[in-house]
Parts: sequence; C-alpha cells; structure tokens
Amino acid sequence: MNLSDNIACSHCNLEFSQSVMIEDGEHFFCCNGCKGVFHLLSDSGLESFYTKAGSTTLTPPTKQYENSSNFNSKAFYSKFVRVNSDGFSEVSLIIEGIHCSACVWLNEKVLHKMDGVIEATINYTNNKAIIVWADSVIKLSEIIDMVRAIGYNAFPYDATLQEAHANKERKEYYLRMAVAIFASMNIMWIAIAQYAGYFTGITQEIKTILNLAEWFLATPVLFYSGWVFFRGSYFGLKNHVVNMDLLVATGASLTYVYSIYITLLEQGEAYFDSVSMIITFVLIGKFLEILSKKNVADTLDILGNHLPSEINIIKEGQIVSCKLTDVLVDDIVVVSSGERVLIDGEIIKGSGSFDESNLTGESEPIYKSVGEHVISGTISIDADIHFRATKDFEHSTLSNLVSLLETAINKKPKIQQMANRLSEHFSTTILALSFVTFIVWWAWPHSFETSLMIGISVIVIACPCALALATPVATLVGLSLGAKKGILFKEAAQLETMAKVDTLVLDKTGTLTLGKPEVLKEHIYEEFDKKLLFSLVKSSKHPVACGIYKYINESNTNQEGIILDEYTQVPACGISAKYMGLELLGGNLKLMQNNNIEVDYSNENTIFYFAIDNRVVAIYELSDTIKSNAKEMVANLKNRGIEIIMLTGDNAHIAQKVATEVGIELYMSEQTPQDKLAYIEKLQEQKRTIVMVGDGVNDILALARADIGIVMGSGSDIAVDIGDVVLLNDSLQSLEDAFKISRTTYQLIKQNLGISLLYNAVTIPLAMAGYIIPLIAAISMSLSSLLVVGNSMRIKIKWTKG
Amino acid sequence: MDDSIIIMMLCVSIFLGAVALFAFLWAIKNGQFDDEEKFLNATKFDGEDELNDAVSQENKRRDLKKDYRPE
Repeated sequence: MNLSDNIACSHCNLEFSQSVMIEDGEHFFCCNGCKGVFHLLSDSGLESFYTKAGSTTLTPPTKQYENSSNFNSKAFYSKFVRVNSDGFSEVSLIIEGIHCSACVWLNEKVLHKMDGVIEATINYTNNKAIIVWADSVIKLSEIIDMVRAIGYNAFPYDATLQEAHANKERKEYYLRMAVAIFASMNIMWIAIAQYAGYFTGITQEIKTILNLAEWFLATPVLFYSGWVFFRGSYFGLKNHVVNMDLLVATGASLTYVYSIYITLLEQGEAYFDSVSMIITFVLIGKFLEILSKKNVADTLDILGNHLPSEINIIKEGQIVSCKLTDVLVDDIVVVSSGERVLIDGEIIKGSGSFDESNLTGESEPIYKSVGEHVISGTISIDADIHFRATKDFEHSTLSNLVSLLETAINKKPKIQQMANRLSEHFSTTILALSFVTFIVWWAWPHSFETSLMIGISVIVIACPCALALATPVATLVGLSLGAKKGILFKEAAQLETMAKVDTLVLDKTGTLTLGKPEVLKEHIYEEFDKKLLFSLVKSSKHPVACGIYKYINESNTNQEGIILDEYTQVPACGISAKYMGLELLGGNLKLMQNNNIEVDYSNENTIFYFAIDNRVVAIYELSDTIKSNAKEMVANLKNRGIEIIMLTGDNAHIAQKVATEVGIELYMSEQTPQDKLAYIEKLQEQKRTIVMVGDGVNDILALARADIGIVMGSGSDIAVDIGDVVLLNDSLQSLEDAFKISRTTYQLIKQNLGISLLYNAVTIPLAMAGYIIPLIAAISMSLSSLLVVGNSMRIKIKWTKG
Repeated sequence: MDDSIIIMMLCVSIFLGAVALFAFLWAIKNGQFDDEEKFLNATKFDGEDELNDAVSQENKRRDLKKDYRPE
C-alpha cells in the first residue's frame, strides 16, 4: 500500500489509509471523536469552519476528560471566577489545541451560541480566553464541556497576577507614546517656521502665535506622556536616589516653565520643541526596555493550573470529594488512570505505571504496586489505585516543588545594568553643573533671564536621550541577532548578565547528549527474520524500542511490518508477541529472567535481548550518544575563560565516561533536582555568575536559581517557561553563539554609553559658556541619538554579513 | 500676511490630527490591537454572520442584565 491511497479525515485532516477510516456518507473519519465533532458542527450550522481552516491539521478529539463538575465547586469559583460590575461571572481560561485562526473563530462562535454566554474572547497569540456568562442561566462546567466536545480543552488560570499588570503597563505606554509622537511631529513643523524666522526675520506677533500653538501641543506631552518621569523621580527621591527620571523631569519642566515665560513676555526664544523631544525620545527608550521584560507570573501559572482544588477520598466506605488542603495523613485517596497524584502516599490497592518524568526527568514509565510509594506530581498512566496519604498536601513533594521554585525565582540574582548605575552619577552631575552655571552667570552680572536660560540650556544639551537609548537599542540588536540564530533571549537585561558569566553548569541528558539511546553494537547468535524484531519494536513508544527501530530501519532497506498476535507491553520489562506459533520476547534482563531464559551478557550499556521461543537470538547494546560538536564547544568556551561543570542524575560511571569524552574535568553524578539547586547556590556564594543549561523538569529549580537559565527548545514545557534563554535548535553551537552575542552586545552597550558621554563632554562646556542657541540644542539632541542608533546598526550589519 | 489665517490653519490642522489621534487612542484602549494575529486575520472573519452574531450577543447581554440588581 502506498501513500497515495491515504485520505484525509474530514475533521482533523490527518491522513490515513482508507481501510482504517470510518466511512459516513461522503465523509471519512479517523476516529469517532472526529466524527462526533463534525456532526456537532454541521448541526449547529458551523461547517464554514472547515473552509476557514483550510488544510490545517487538528488534534483528533480522542482524550477522555475527568468529570467537569468540580469546575462548579465553591473552592474553584472563589479562586478563579470573578463577578464583574454588571453582575456577570468572568473567568480566564487557557484553551489547548488551537492551531489556526479558524480554531479561535470556532470556539468563539460555539460559545456565543450557548444561552447565557455573554462574551467569549480568545487571544490567538497566547491561547488565552476571557469568558463572561450569566451564572443563573449556565454553569461553567457546561461551558468547559462544550469546549471539550468540539475537540479542544480548557483550563483556568489566575489572571489577576503580574501578567495582567504587565499588559496594562504596556498598553499605557502605547497610549503615552502615541500622544508624545503625535505632538512632537506637529511641534516640529511649527519649529521649522520658527527656525526659518530666526534666520530670515519674523514679526513678534507671528512668533507668539507659533509659540502658543507649541505650548498647546507640548502640554499633554509633558503632563500626560511625561507623567512616568515625574512618578519615577518621586519614587527615586523617596529612596534617596537621583535617577535619570529626575533629570528628565526637571529638565523638561524647567524648560517648559521658562518657555511659557518667554511666550508671555513676547521676547526671546521658546524651547517647547526641546520639551517634547526629550520626553518622546526617552519614553521610547523606556518602552523598548519594558517590551523586552519577561514576566515570571506565567510560569507559576502553568505549574499551578493543572492542580484541581478537590480530590477524591474514601470516607466510611464511600468515595467523597474534599478540598485538597483538607486531606489528612492516613486518609485513603483514590486515583484513576490519567489523573495526577497530588499527595504523597503508599499504595494499598491496585497497581500500574506512573509517569515520573516531571520529577526525575526519567522518561520511562515506572511500574508500582501495593506497598510502594507514589510521589505527588507524577501522573498515573494506567493505574487505578487507592493509596494511604503519608503526608498532607502542604508537605507533599509537589507542593514543596512549587514553593521551592517560587523561592528560586525570587532569589535569582539581579545584576544592576551598567546604564542604570551610570545614569545616577550622570544625573547628579548635570543638575549640579546646571545650577553652578546659573549662579556664576548671575553673579557675573548678567540679567536673571539670561542666566536662567543658560542654566537650562545645560540641562537641555546634556540630553539624556542618547544615554536613555544607548542600552535598549544595543540590546535590541542583540536580541534580533539571537533570534536569527535560533536563540531566544526572553529579557534584554540578560544579555548584559550573560556577558559577565564565568561558570557554565551543564546537565548531561538532552544537553550534552542526545537524550535518546542509539544502538552501539549488535550481537546475532542465531539467524532470524529481521521483520519479526522490526514489527515488535515498531509500535512501542519506549525510547529503547525506538532506538532499535531506528537502527533496523537504517541498516536494512525495505523493511515491512507484519501483523503480530497477542501483542502486549510488559510494564518496565519489554514487549511480548506471537507470530505463527513463534513466541517473541524483546526487553531487558528482567523480562528474560521472568521467562526463565538464562543470559550471561551484561555491561554498562543498556542491553536489549530478543528471544524467539525462549532462545536468545540477538542482543543489542544501546547507549545515549554525545552531541556532535560537544567537545569543540567545551574547548572553545574554556578558551574564553569559562569554567565548565557537569551535573547529572545518572550514576558516576556514565557521568565519568561522558565527562572525559567531552573534556570536562569537574562533574557531579546522582544529583536530585534539589541537589542541583544547592550546588548552584553554593557556587553563587563564591560570587560567581552562573549559566545553567538544561532541558528537563528535574533541572527547573537550578535553572530558576542560576543567573541565566538556558533551556533546549525540545525540553519540557515548564523548563522552557522557566528558562531565560531558549536554544530553539537544541544545538551546542547555539550555546556558544549565545555567549558570543551577549559579549558583542555588552561591548556595544559600552560603546554607545561612551559615545553619549563623549558627546556631552563636548557640548556641556559650550552650553555653560553660553554658546548654545535653540536650533543647535535641537540638532545636537537628534544627532547624538542618531549616532547611538547608527553605531548599533553598524554592529548588526557586520554580524549579519559575517 | 493676516495673522488670523495662520491661527486658523494651525487650529484646523491640529484639530484634524487630534481627531485621528483620539480615534487611535480609542482603538488601543478598546483592545483592537491586543492580538496581532487576530487583527491581521480580521478580514477573513468579517461578514454578515459576524455582524448578526455581535448583535445577538448584545441583545443577550441586555436581556440578562435587565433582571440584575446589585445587592
């Protein structure tokens, strides 16, 4: 059968061979889930979804969800549901499974069609939704059931956190910038008339009219757009800090007051254009900084959002649900397959496999039965168990992990940016110089107006514009260079921090190595049909089976699968199946021993045994392989003076092998997530600046605590969220590039600050001597900013070419 | 040149610009630029159905609000 026989499912567009599809009139479906959704949509007249979605493939709605009624519980309502001013209920949800804008359209439409739903707005970019409904007409569980029925999933998040605050702040800046830019542009064309008049002659009446117009335009800029600077300098002064905001606020308002005085006096030159330009330029610089700030809130959301607030326990022989925090030690907790274990305990009934990858990074499911401990945070894959709580929620692993993570994020060292430190001194100096200039001119007998004007011109010419733009423009260049190479810096300030890094801590699995076992050696004892083994490992998702599948697929062409009977996966052992009377067994030593097959081959690699009719016919040795350019990267970074340390959860033997192979002298083995965190803390006490590189949930504590956490793009979702830098292509070359880019950017910041300081060193004495006229002040302001931007562009072009 | 002409020209042009500025500010406050993807795809989902949908949502809101009294 070849590919062209495949047809697409009418709902999800995934292609399957026609023989396995469910036929329904002229439509074909891959599963009953898709069929159900298709009919649901046709019945409610929303078929146009399929034309809108085009050829986008969707996730088939095959998931079974737990009962949604706990969304109606009081505990849930008090945590997530708000009541708005009209008396309607409102909740923020994250919708899972959105692939295209048609999905957004469909969800909104379906929800709008429900009675009682007032508003459903879904953001395509981050899949977050706000739903407003009348609780008297419809319950939240019905809304969530509807979203699930059409093949998506929804879970709530607490939107009152920082994220909402950050969005509000960003919006506020948009508004302020729009006003500032609008007014400045208008003031500029009026200023052209002023300057033309300055050189060719202008009547005082016209000049006054133009001044009045500029006054009118500059007022909202100073008091609305410039409000952030007044607020900033107030908080600065409260903490006894003279910051850049104070310089900008004083400069702009003094100039503003002086210009009003000039306008009313009807003589001399007004400086309204400088007022609006200073505010606009510095505001843009500030906005660029805010734009590239990461918000931590989202991360904690993701950890918390899968936590139901209620849990099923057995009381007096009955299953009842109770609040998670009300569970006591020794209560009997019920967990069914697919659910997350929320409390630590000991199994008293039932058995099954658990996914512990969240905690250990171990990708293999772990089989547990009566008497063994279950750890909170793990997910039951196929186990329906009763267990006795050995701890309450507060003391359970999951709860500890969340609180450890919170502290780790809060404790992350903050390195003050160079520009901030510099601007403190700069602002104090300029304000002092300007005051001295004013006193000296006044004492040297000059008129009060002249002295004041020259004093003000010092502040104006000391234009903080270039200084304010120096860092944001440079970091923007750094961010875009990174983005081109598949390196995502989440916050601009991290570029500067990373340039100062002296220690690199690496995780082994998935970072230095591929994280997937590959076949190293093949021992064949008896000839057998490779098709048997190929078919046996083909359907397993286990990493070892995948490794062998890949190996056979590469070494033998034209492999065809055959249908095996009684195919069973033996948890934590391997796979067994039958083919035409032959018994096939593939798996680890335990599987062989369970079937009374004697084997005597073992070494430090992972061994896969393949037996036919209880005779071992082949043995495969597998091992995790090291990424191609690991050795080179380690050597290059060492040359840059960075100390490299490897931390791994694996045993000392494997750790040593990998470390010597890539050339790392210092390594620690058998590290738990907490150990890794403690190690990073210990290094930080030695005043080191640390980069931690990892990919799994077992690294998140360390990633959160390190000065910079770098995550492989293929890593777990939570790790990617926690990390400060994401390497999208997983390659170690990008890691080296990240160091290069951060150092170049830091150089650029230093150059830009240098340029703006040099500029000031030349123009401030001129201003103090009284040689600065309004036109020159305006030109110099733009020119210095242009120099800074130009210098940054130069670096960008150089990098893009080379 | 007559001063009043300059005054008039300044007033008219600043007023026209201000109208555009306020329209823009209103759009930002209204959340029209919050989701760039949705904003760019807006033309795809802008038809008679959407208008009807918006009207029916408004009606629903009004009807349900009638019965509500703040406690």
